Amino acid sequence: MLLESVEAHQFRNLSGEVFWGQGLNIIFGENGQGKTSWLEAIYLLATTKSFRTQRPQEAIRFGESLAVVRGRVTRSRDVHRDLQVTLQGNSKSLSLNGKSETVANYLSQLHVVSFTADELEVVRGGPDARRRFLDRGVVALHHSYVQTLADYQRVIKQKNRLLQDISNSGTSIDNARELIEPWNEQITLLGSIIHRARCDYVERLQPSLQRRLFEREDVTIRYMSTLEGKGDINDYESLLRERLGLRLQAELASGYALIGPHRDDLEILLDGRDMRAYGSSGQQRSALILLDLAAISVYHLWHNEYPLFLMDDVDAELDERRIGRLLEYLRGRTQTFVTTSKGDLIKEFANNAKVFDVGEGVAVDVLRNESEKTVFTSVKGI
Amino acid sequence: MLEYSEPVTKLIDEFKRLPGIGQKTAQRLAFHVLRMTQEEVGRFVEAMEDVKRKIVMCTVCNNLTDVEPCRFCSSTSRDRSIICVVEEPYNLVAVEKTRSYNGLYHVLHGALSPIRGLGPEDLRLANLLPRLRPENNDGVEVREVILATNPNTEGEATASYVSRLLKPLGVRVTRIAMGMPVGSDLEYVDEVTMDKALANRHEI
Ligand SMILES: [Zn+2]
Repeated sequence: MLLESVEAHQFRNLSGEVFWGQGLNIIFGENGQGKTSWLEAIYLLATTKSFRTQRPQEAIRFGESLAVVRGRVTRSRDVHRDLQVTLQGNSKSLSLNGKSETVANYLSQLHVVSFTADELEVVRGGPDARRRFLDRGVVALHHSYVQTLADYQRVIKQKNRLLQDISNSGTSIDNARELIEPWNEQITLLGSIIHRARCDYVERLQPSLQRRLFEREDVTIRYMSTLEGKGDINDYESLLRERLGLRLQAELASGYALIGPHRDDLEILLDGRDMRAYGSSGQQRSALILLDLAAISVYHLWHNEYPLFLMDDVDAELDERRIGRLLEYLRGRTQTFVTTSKGDLIKEFANNAKVFDVGEGVAVDVLRNESEKTVFTSVKGI
Repeated sequence: MLEYSEPVTKLIDEFKRLPGIGQKTAQRLAFHVLRMTQEEVGRFVEAMEDVKRKIVMCTVCNNLTDVEPCRFCSSTSRDRSIICVVEEPYNLVAVEKTRSYNGLYHVLHGALSPIRGLGPEDLRLANLLPRLRPENNDGVEVREVILATNPNTEGEATASYVSRLLKPLGVRVTRIAMGMPVGSDLEYVDEVTMDKALANRHEI
């Protein structure tokens, strides 16, 4: 998959259209000029979300009522897709080749794996960041999983409210069970799908993690269900149903749904030790890169094409040696987008890259003529 | 100070109470009314008053009707041994459009949703169980209840709740097949899909 161009209207301070290179794209600029915003526009186009804010609508330029990001994707020689995300007020509309499209269908058109400051939460933050990492990976393989997740989250929200209503009203436990059972039934059904999908995805990631890109350290992962040790985890559906029944009283007391895959975690071990507790900041970054590269491999094995790879502020995240190893590995595989405010990186990698200088929201292709020849000869198999 | 004169403002406010109508649309509608003839306005008002005066809820199935009981419940050509449970009157219309269903209906007027403050007591369920007894159904025994609530989380929870009420009575309870897009509303499901969903219903 190849992102040919992106056009932004009233999206932060961006303006104009950018034609990207097929291999490495270096987006260079002083802070505040808009280099990260271009990366954010690509991310928005692929995920319909922002890595900078919970509400992408915050990216609508001040004083304007809407923002539009448009992009052209090439899937194969003659298959082009025009993607568009329109942000307005509290809403977001998606279109594919000029027709409005559902999220699940839209998301299957362009996939990115990204390394941003926010993504570091996967290796050093709470379990929710790791669950999101897994869920993103699953969605990239099975688009209908978006709906499963949305339904599950809605059921949990409904159940939480019901638990709180019941504790406030002093309903009998039998009555409470009768009211909660219909929601637990869906937690069992959807939760089992989620559990199976995540376990399967972890299994697919595992072999690709063996790659030793940087150090000799060994990164291993394991899906950690909160139901482990509570019974036969191989019959997850029955176990989940049983635990939901047994823990009703505790759920009523806390007012929250305590049982289900929304409480699970992904264990990341570095040489057998918990990454989050023992890893240095550099090791954590290396581990996240390895996880991202494994996600890229899994995607490639499944779809027989590579996703895009995005990395914000690359020199702040990795030292020069790691950047070199990483870009070397990605060359000929992904279409890659990195931002930097340092000229050094450009000198080092410009031969194989398209370089964009961003000033006041406009990205100018600085080395247009020289670089194009080399990019074409170096890119294979997109 | 009001932007428009008081009568116009009042009309705009009334339009804004309607579902899906915001300020802009309300203004457009209000100015459309100003351009209507007195006669047109009279017809419109009468239509609204009529619907309120003449349409009632069928005491048997809760469908909206101008005759009591409704035309489905009083029909002699429909299969009284089967009842299809739907959320809203317009869902009934979707099932009816398939032309492949000839049984009776039961309209709940809602679905379970704790977030919206809707519990079992807010659904029109009380008159469903008595209908299953032959003496309340022209002597015909009900052998199947089809749960055709929406294929979203609220509809599923509602189907599950109702099936738990019915199961002890020994009646066959089925759920329409989810070949249709999940998270969807039956209002927008086309006839072909609904037809398939009915044909492929399964025991729950
Ligand atoms: Zn009726």
